[in-house]
Amino acid sequence: MEFIPNKHGFVEIRLESIGGQGAYSVGQMLAQIGVEGSHLHAICFADYGSEKKGAPVKTFVRFAKDDVTILNYSPVNEPQIVAVFHELLFKTQPVTDGLHTDGILIVNTDQTPEQLRAMYNLNVKTIVTVDATKIALQYKTKLNTAMLGAIFSSLNFLDPTLAADAIEKMFGYKYPHLVEPNVSTFKDGMEQAQTHVFTDVEAGIAHTRKPTPFGYETQNQGGEIAGPNSYTKNLTASREGMMPEYLNEKCIHCSNCDNVCPDFCFVWEEGVDARGRAQMFLQGIDYNYCKGCLKCVEVCPTQALVSMVEERDYADAHRVQKPFDFLGGVK
Amino acid sequence: MKPQIDVFKAGNQMAAQAAADINYHVMGYFPISPSTEVAQYLDMMGVNGQHDIQLIAADGEHGAAGICYGAATAGARVFNATSANGLMYMLEQLPVQSGTRYPMVLNLVNRAVSGPLNIHCDHSDLYFALNAGWVILTGANPQQVYDLNIMALKIAEHQDVRLPAIVSYDGYITSHQKHNVKVFENAQDVREFVGEMKREGYDFVIPETAPVTVGAHMKGDDFMNNRYQLEVAQTHALRVFEEVAAEYEALSGRKYELVETYQMEDAEIGLVILNSSADIAKSAIDKMRAEGKKVGLVRPNIVRPFPAEALTQALKDVKVIVMGERADSAGAKGGNLSHDLKAALHDANMTTPVITRIYGLGGKEFYASDAEAVVTLGYDFLADETVEKFGYYGVNPGDSEKGQLIQRSLEPRPVSDYVTGKITTTFNEEKNKVDVKVPPLRMLTSKPKRLVNGHGACPGCGIFSGLELFFKGIEGEIVIVNQTGCAYVVTAGYPYSSYQQHYVHNLFQSGPATLSGIAEALFEMRHRGEITFADSATFVMVSGDGGMDIGMGSAIGTALRGHKLIMLEYDNQGYMNTGAQMSYSTPLGNRTSTTNVGKVRVGKQYAHKDTAQIMAACNMPYVFTGSEAYPLDLVKKAAKAQWYANNVGPVYGKILIACPLNWKSADHDGTNVVKAATDCGFFPLYEVEQGLTTITVDPEAKKRVPVEDWVGYMGKSRHLLKPENEAILAKTKAEIERRYNQLKAKHDSEYL
Ligand SMILES: Cc1ncc(C[n+]2csc(CCOP(=O)(O)OP(=O)(O)O)c2C)c(N)n1
Ligand code: SF4
Ligand code: SF4
Ligand code: SF4
Ligand SMILES: [Mg+2]
Repeated sequence: MEFIPNKHGFVEIRLESIGGQGAYSVGQMLAQIGVEGSHLHAICFADYGSEKKGAPVKTFVRFAKDDVTILNYSPVNEPQIVAVFHELLFKTQPVTDGLHTDGILIVNTDQTPEQLRAMYNLNVKTIVTVDATKIALQYKTKLNTAMLGAIFSSLNFLDPTLAADAIEKMFGYKYPHLVEPNVSTFKDGMEQAQTHVFTDVEAGIAHTRKPTPFGYETQNQGGEIAGPNSYTKNLTASREGMMPEYLNEKCIHCSNCDNVCPDFCFVWEEGVDARGRAQMFLQGIDYNYCKGCLKCVEVCPTQALVSMVEERDYADAHRVQKPFDFLGGVK
Repeated sequence: MKPQIDVFKAGNQMAAQAAADINYHVMGYFPISPSTEVAQYLDMMGVNGQHDIQLIAADGEHGAAGICYGAATAGARVFNATSANGLMYMLEQLPVQSGTRYPMVLNLVNRAVSGPLNIHCDHSDLYFALNAGWVILTGANPQQVYDLNIMALKIAEHQDVRLPAIVSYDGYITSHQKHNVKVFENAQDVREFVGEMKREGYDFVIPETAPVTVGAHMKGDDFMNNRYQLEVAQTHALRVFEEVAAEYEALSGRKYELVETYQMEDAEIGLVILNSSADIAKSAIDKMRAEGKKVGLVRPNIVRPFPAEALTQALKDVKVIVMGERADSAGAKGGNLSHDLKAALHDANMTTPVITRIYGLGGKEFYASDAEAVVTLGYDFLADETVEKFGYYGVNPGDSEKGQLIQRSLEPRPVSDYVTGKITTTFNEEKNKVDVKVPPLRMLTSKPKRLVNGHGACPGCGIFSGLELFFKGIEGEIVIVNQTGCAYVVTAGYPYSSYQQHYVHNLFQSGPATLSGIAEALFEMRHRGEITFADSATFVMVSGDGGMDIGMGSAIGTALRGHKLIMLEYDNQGYMNTGAQMSYSTPLGNRTSTTNVGKVRVGKQYAHKDTAQIMAACNMPYVFTGSEAYPLDLVKKAAKAQWYANNVGPVYGKILIACPLNWKSADHDGTNVVKAATDCGFFPLYEVEQGLTTITVDPEAKKRVPVEDWVGYMGKSRHLLKPENEAILAKTKAEIERRYNQLKAKHDSEYL
């Protein structure tokens, strides 16, 4: 993409990621390269919150020509470019909200642009896909520099030869040994990116600012919350490629896994043991909450838990749902 | 003009850069978002010798402000940065600093004051500071943060002022957004601008100079005059601001007036608004101007002293003033600055109507379109004078259907769910100890967790595996209190809660006190027959290790008062919630975001705090350490803890938990790291029951592992294995050894 500003004079990019993937560093590198290499003005920031690693984060970069002082410090709601660092985010976040239909969508996935478009019903002219996770596994790096490569593959107002410098700046001081593998990750990301331009997109962008449902008439005074409700969340996007596999036949029901699982994923049921006494038996894992840390695998004495690379739809098919006692039996 | 270079940096970096350029003597600080980065950047520069500022990590903001005050009385140049509750916690120090007339510079990175807790921008903290007697400068963007920081010191130290100064800028928006900015190429130019610290003619506590007494108390007649001097100094500060701004313009080419005006020349509506929102509103002003609307904007660069004349002058021709305020003074029908402005208009015999809208609280986003809507209220008022003069912009009544999420959705559990009957605790008179029997842990999986799924902690976070394992040992209901920290933040983010038990969060340093109040109130109400609950109800205060720094006083007070409750510390060796700053529990030489590894300093400079021993010295009935690496040991201790808390008095427990994110250890290694910490002797598992110490997991019996095994798991400490850090590792080992031997001696003797 050339430097074609929107009606406010900006080129705006939004990075959709989960905390820990290093999207903010990518935003910073993009902005830095724009400022130093292309004499643009830029601002770069993230939607900071109390979110930890594994929670969704948005990073924003706003560019303008150097005769424009950027005074808009608000989040980017109608980006020309969106990069999605984790495909699972399509399921939990409105990642393409407000994206210009003639803009660019860049996604970390093992799918092709055509497949991706069909899967998520996408209405955007240019789709770029890259298997950043795989590239990163190969170099033992983070996938963010592969995503940076894919972003560069589709922008020509930023100079890719400056990316190596930017990577050096980012890692060189604290982790010099990471510079080289990251440069390779970047190059592979750029080369392996697949781009498809679709001609049959509908015009128009849709961004809506949705008001919170918890208004001054519906919010409890003082903000109290009546009982637990976080179980309604889906935490699967926190996994970054690995997950535990449970082999029931090897399990001796020792509960070592239950003792160390940070996310209470193990589902138990009372049964009777060989001698006819009441005893607890492990049923399986509620993958809806599993963040893929693999602590359970470490403590399992019988290899009833082993680590596996997450396969599409495996978690849904093998999830053992944790039972909750819904009020009045109504879900 | 002096040479400057272009950089791409955020507000906090600019505050740090200005401080480094000035080369302050001392910064006493305590981390709080979003201001913490200022100290982090300074530490990063400091460990590589880029400035000589002494960075002192205090035990809380009150301590930080005390350090700053002390340093100022010693004649040092002093710097600090804080936000929201940090400011609140140091508030009582502020008038002391101004009333005794010691200049310093404090960056106030604006954030909403709790509660509900909120880390985002508004000006409620700033409004609390308005009455502190400090000079307060206000900036809209990172460039202004830099410039105002340099000007602030010179204004503060001016002989006609001699007051501390605050530089206020918007949290996250200005503090964290990177912009194109200019800084002086040579720090020397900044140093020359602020000049040498002038000590002659002022009273400082410096040995071998004529002794002075600082801080005498005063009676009313003298006190009145002291306050009047302060008022006079504030008045001078307006003039001094203009003088310093003129000098600074010559140095930098950037001009700062008391109030910045934008498109005000022929404006009929004037928007008055502080900080970053003023920049955002400029594009709304441009848009409205393009539509032929005569609107303009005024943004003060200083709010104390209040630039009354400059403001009334700027607004003298408008028909309506619209004031956007990012904080309210509830009940006053206008935030403090609206009232300041109205008073100024009154004194200038102006009757211009002022429309005030409270906006953007707690970081609620403020777009240019919002600015336009607010300015348009001025026209609405011109058309119809019944438009409300005061109101909130951006509130909504809510959606009664979707609001359902905060209605109860799960059946409350009966207490019996939490009683397996398989754990027994009996007091053994002879041994003066509690005998505990716990079943194989498999059997305890029938007991529900105290939290439901869905908390937002990082993958592999050890907090909840550690806490829930402890809770497995408790039979019956638990009432939980949390001080601020990761455990709270990831389990109770509105509108979500993970707690199946009663739960209260209170501020970072007040958990033990809060739980004392809850427990005593419940016992008293039960005693009066107003309520009933089982004796097995157990009160647990959960805190991080950082909470035990800032809240140590509250914890010791609670221990000494003898309430029947448990204080449970999860130690992850740092302030993780705010981005991994050092706590006093961080081990020697470890890398944190405020103890970086560089050429002149390597990691934390002193050894870890032994909180369990401090608490044991309070002579509580039961103190223990534990970890998930030894599950049976921890569950037994929990059962004992419950017995003591139900029957005798306070219990303190410290569990070591892994923070893979900030320890830079592998997610899957969580249990392994804490196990190595115990097995190498760093974190011995023991209990102090009725004053008698017992090591419950003896690392020697199972062959101690080398300290290197533990250190090697974590990126934050792995550098200690390098040859150049041999001395630090040796010191670490020696300290582990010394403390372990001391503990063994206690284990072996009933008198220690
Ligand atoms: C008075 C005050 N100062 C500072 C803070 C900012 N703050 C919130 S949590 C936290 C660190 C918590 O550390 P710790 O208790 O160890 O818990 P962790 O986050 O490591 O789990 C800090 C510094 C605050 N909330 N209030
Ligand atoms: S640790 Fe392994 S053997 Fe033990 S209960 Fe879990 S899965 Fe089964
Ligand atoms: S990987 Fe294992 S320990 Fe980690 S969240 Fe998933 S089930 Fe729990
Ligand atoms: S930062 Fe550390 S302590 Fe906090 S949630 Fe993440 S892993 Fe847990
Ligand atoms: Mg901590």
